[in-house]
Amino acid sequence: MRSVAIRKIRPYLYLVPSLVFLAIFTYFPILYSLYLSFFKQNILHPQPVFAGLANYVDVFDEKLFFTVVKNTFFYAVTSIPVTMGLALVLAIFLNEKLGWVRNIYRVVAFYPTMIPMAAAGMLAVWLFNPGIGLVNFYLKKFFGVSTIEWLYDMKWALPAIVITSIWKNFGYFMLIYLAGLQNISGELYESADLEGCGFLQRLRYITLPLLRPTTMFVIIVGLISSFQVFDLVYTMTQGGPADSSNVIVYYIYQYAFRFWNIGHASALTVLFVSALLIFIVFLVRTVERRVHYEV
Amino acid sequence: MKSNVYSKSNSPNIFRKFLHWIRVTHAHIHLFLILLCGITIAPYLWALSTSLKHRVDVFTKTPQWIPNPLRLANYSEVFEMAPFGLYLINTMVVVTVILAFQLLTMTTAAYAFARLEFRGSNILFMFFIIQMMLPVHATILPNYLIVNKLGILNTRLALMMPFFATGYGTFLLRQTFRQIPKDFEDAAIIDGCSGLRFLYSVLIPMGKPTLVAQGLISVVTHWNDFFWPLVVSDSPNIRTLTIGLAMFVQQESGADWTLLMAATIFVTAPLMITFLIFQRKFIESFMSAVLKG
Amino acid sequence: MNRKRLLSVLLIVVLSLSLASGAFAKGLVRITYYFPVGLAGPLATVMNEYVDEFNALHAEEIEVVPVYSGDYDPTMQKVQTAVQGGNPPDVFIVEISELPTLLAMDAIIPLNEFADEEYLADFFPAFLENSYTADGQFWGVPFQRSTPVFYWNKDHFREVGLDPDVPPTTWDEVAEFAQKLVVRDENNEVERWGVTISGGWNDWIFQGFARQNSSQLIDFVTKSITINSPEALEALEFWVHLTQELKVAPPHSTWSSTPPDFVAGRTSMLYHSTGVLTFMKESAGFDFGVGFMPANTTYGAEVGGGNLHIGKGIPRENQEAAWKLIEFLTTPEMAARWSRASGYVSTRVSSYDLPEMVAHTTEHPEYLVARNQLDYASGKMMTPIFQRVREIVKTALDEATAGKITPKAALDRAQDQTERLLRDWLD
Repeated sequence: MRSVAIRKIRPYLYLVPSLVFLAIFTYFPILYSLYLSFFKQNILHPQPVFAGLANYVDVFDEKLFFTVVKNTFFYAVTSIPVTMGLALVLAIFLNEKLGWVRNIYRVVAFYPTMIPMAAAGMLAVWLFNPGIGLVNFYLKKFFGVSTIEWLYDMKWALPAIVITSIWKNFGYFMLIYLAGLQNISGELYESADLEGCGFLQRLRYITLPLLRPTTMFVIIVGLISSFQVFDLVYTMTQGGPADSSNVIVYYIYQYAFRFWNIGHASALTVLFVSALLIFIVFLVRTVERRVHYEV
Repeated sequence: MKSNVYSKSNSPNIFRKFLHWIRVTHAHIHLFLILLCGITIAPYLWALSTSLKHRVDVFTKTPQWIPNPLRLANYSEVFEMAPFGLYLINTMVVVTVILAFQLLTMTTAAYAFARLEFRGSNILFMFFIIQMMLPVHATILPNYLIVNKLGILNTRLALMMPFFATGYGTFLLRQTFRQIPKDFEDAAIIDGCSGLRFLYSVLIPMGKPTLVAQGLISVVTHWNDFFWPLVVSDSPNIRTLTIGLAMFVQQESGADWTLLMAATIFVTAPLMITFLIFQRKFIESFMSAVLKG
Repeated sequence: MNRKRLLSVLLIVVLSLSLASGAFAKGLVRITYYFPVGLAGPLATVMNEYVDEFNALHAEEIEVVPVYSGDYDPTMQKVQTAVQGGNPPDVFIVEISELPTLLAMDAIIPLNEFADEEYLADFFPAFLENSYTADGQFWGVPFQRSTPVFYWNKDHFREVGLDPDVPPTTWDEVAEFAQKLVVRDENNEVERWGVTISGGWNDWIFQGFARQNSSQLIDFVTKSITINSPEALEALEFWVHLTQELKVAPPHSTWSSTPPDFVAGRTSMLYHSTGVLTFMKESAGFDFGVGFMPANTTYGAEVGGGNLHIGKGIPRENQEAAWKLIEFLTTPEMAARWSRASGYVSTRVSSYDLPEMVAHTTEHPEYLVARNQLDYASGKMMTPIFQRVREIVKTALDEATAGKITPKAALDRAQDQTERLLRDWLD
């Protein structure tokens, strides 16, 4: 009897170390935001007053909110496929035996991830400068593309941020894929070689199916992190020109710290986390069913 | 298409022909990689070049890749502006301790999620993932309150503690542990190896590439943390590199470009070295090592 | 495999390292001083030197702990978090239009009891405007202050036959000169802009344009909002004239990339802060001039930068020590030193008579431009929730210069949005 009881609680014990820290530094902030979201507290009314759901109603009252949501979706939809695709292709290539240069390729692909955001953002501001930036210079030189105003232009500011984020992030997902590839047994490839399978066939029949758990991870993490985009917006455009590159988390930051509207910012946070959670639960449910873990 | 992953019977004929038709060789791969890496590395080389320039040579209508004349003094100026040596040590302590705790918390949690069946595991798993969903700015004030309550404001512990648990790492590792065939566990149990022993002697060695990847990612992430360390630290004795780096970016005048680039090169160099050392770990196939052992 | 031991060793290391960070001395008042660095240069080092000097003067008595706190925005965030966390800094510098936010947060104390008439009389009046509320309370001492000025590339002037020493002095001349200076390639694409009005903080520059047309956008003390006044409208129409009709100015830009544009010769004339003057001098390989922003009905400018504040809810002796630090940092001598080190305008009138300052400004008269322009300058516009108002104004300006909306519609909308946002304050 006793051993059954232990077996039952054992899994929970393994979670305890994490849960302690999560409780303090994640669940408390969430509950704190939830609590504050029911109070009006802002610069004009500094004393918190219970307001029920008024803050939530206010969120949808602002047209800008919808622009910001739209921009965030634009960012996610454009950056995720390219980032993931590049990461996967690169990881597969860099898992081939390519000689010593492979190390160089790997460093080159991963280094943008290592650059601190402030520096990467400033560098990007410069590279995308329409007149003196490298991007326009080489686009013109090699492809004859006429000047794009990038960060100076309401249409191009967000795409410039997307491009920067792809450059900054694909190495990171590549690393995860690379690790995932290493978890695939070499024997499978060996027998594939014996059968005379080429590179693409091994890819089609071994690599991709077995990478599915990794792919699922990458997609979910990629989705969450692209909805969290903040630093590049903060350093490159501050959401401008005319909010054309404003995104949800930047918008929350503005409300929390720049506009000091605690209630509104908290309501936004709660809505954001809930929406993301529902979305991810739904996604995990659907995707997990299609992922086969056991070889 | 489950266990017999490379049985060709169920693939459409046309696709097979297509595969035969385009044969990807290593030469193609090299060509692709050189092109892609050429684009990717350009900003770094540009930063490097700028970090060696005189201020008057920085902004030109046509790019000057080779600094002429060379100016190494940018690097010494960077070191004069802030105690970067101290910041480097602080940063290394912070990322190492965070990683150590994460390895402990995430391996056990990932093991439970990947290999054990228990009630509420799906919901609890979501409670781990939720950590990634919370916007960082929503955590700053409440976490500051906690750190203040704990009396560890302006200490290294405050810089590290919020990151001791990682939903992200747990998730990644869970995926990896799940990939490891059930046969191993059965064999291990017969050998009398279960629970934590199984985790440490089978799962972790087999998941090493992922652990190394997660380790690198964790180190890089916390190496570059900025807002949280800025808010909870006052003393240069505990501050980290990115806070020093921020001195070269200014709202009112833009940036001190040559110094900013020199500082960036310096701040990322240790990471590059770490990466070069550890990426070798991907080359060895741990899976087959374990299979033989 | 000795994980437990490893862990306990780690814990001990962590704990001892964290305890080692604060050394406590007894019998002296210890105050924390948050300061942002807003300009290029080794300003954090300079600031640490000043504080060391102050601490040496007050050894055994006061110890100031200087804390570099990032840029203006991160500094404000650090201050906000610390205040809400019940741990306010004793002295700090934040951007001047944050005053209403600080007041709403009950974060600072009025300084009337410390600052006497004589002390304040020596500050440039325009710099003091962002320190007062309607009830006459005085909340912040001007420290690192600037105004926008007008830069022009003398080589480009020579090239198109303009006198390199005579910048445009009126809006009409700006348009006229810009048309001469703009360079387009065979595809009619702009290679060089005639003039650039820097984006990002274009609301700040726009306020100057309103002043140049004898108007203003917002008055904090009298609570008047006149963003869509005919004078402001004329100013925005002038911007649209430059960007959309003449196409001699870029419709948008970012604050940090226009000084490089100017230095690389991508634009011949530039509106930007006087704070980038030192950057320009070090980076430009050509002759350039600095002047007043051109006038329409009058010259006009507005101030910017950061003020020193004292935190609320700290012990009385800390407040007194904090004031001593503020006094020390704002003497005419220190103001002059800080101005020379940083490129900010010195806040004290008399500091410009000091021998070292006279020598400095004789050698580099361009550093006097911003000071002289102060005769035409006003405080920076501010309101409660000013950062939101700023976004409203910036969006209006950006959409108008992009040609998406007429200047009139843009400003009417901004006026309306601002009035609605602030209706509780305006009543």
